[in-house]
Amino acid sequence: MFRLLEETGFTRIRSAVVPRFRFRKESTQNSAEAYGVKAVMMTALKPRGDIEPAEAT
Amino acid sequence: MSDGAEAQASLEAVLKDEIVRMYQEVADNPTGTFHFFHGHEAAELFGYAPDWLERAPASAVASFAGVGNPHERSDLQPGETVLDLGSGAGLDAIIASWRVGAKGKVIGVDLNPSMCLKVQALAAEAGGRMECQVGRMEDIPVPTASVDVVISNGVINLSFRKRRVIEEIFRVLRPGGRISITDIVSAKQLSQSIINDPKLWAS
Repeated sequence: MFRLLEETGFTRIRSAVVPRFRFRKESTQNSAEAYGVKAVMMTALKPRGDIEPAEAT
Repeated sequence: MSDGAEAQASLEAVLKDEIVRMYQEVADNPTGTFHFFHGHEAAELFGYAPDWLERAPASAVASFAGVGNPHERSDLQPGETVLDLGSGAGLDAIIASWRVGAKGKVIGVDLNPSMCLKVQALAAEAGGRMECQVGRMEDIPVPTASVDVVISNGVINLSFRKRRVIEEIFRVLRPGGRISITDIVSAKQLSQSIINDPKLWAS
């Protein structure tokens, strides 16, 4: 998602892991860990001088 | 439309229905057990202020299904216009309405018409004000460059077209606008069996 924000034209992109996120069901949490799934908080800014968004793919 | 595009469109339609169904179930059965933490327990886990949870309508708190706390870094100011993408049962939108005050504006966007109706009523009950538009995050029903802040909580990960969603967020923000979102990310490419299973994807 960081890359998508950057490519779209956002700046000052910051992210941090949500430390206490986990799934309730143990089997789901185990699967999530296998895929490196985590929750993150992200902030970003749209520049004041507008930039055309990247073409949709 | 190519076969691949048709298949994706079909899967997206199924996914949309599953998302609406699952989060409606959380709203209708807040004491139920789901793959994820929800309700007051989840809100406490993610650091929502106790006085917010005390002040918000009980049903909005009980049906909370976020993955973090976008208000931690949203820095909402009085008078700002805020879009809550995937407003759901409304806890984040209600908190936003308190923070931007009477001169501000909160717009929720959600797939579920009944959720939209409910959240507007809950916001009024909580002493806030918001409007909710039924729509998709891939085609946000909000005018271009009309919003100061976009918040979202565990929603963008549900889309197959995340680039499109990010572009839509960029479009609706005013120049100088900002986002504060919490969401699920994956370090590895998910298997096709997960991608093809709407229940797994939506959870």
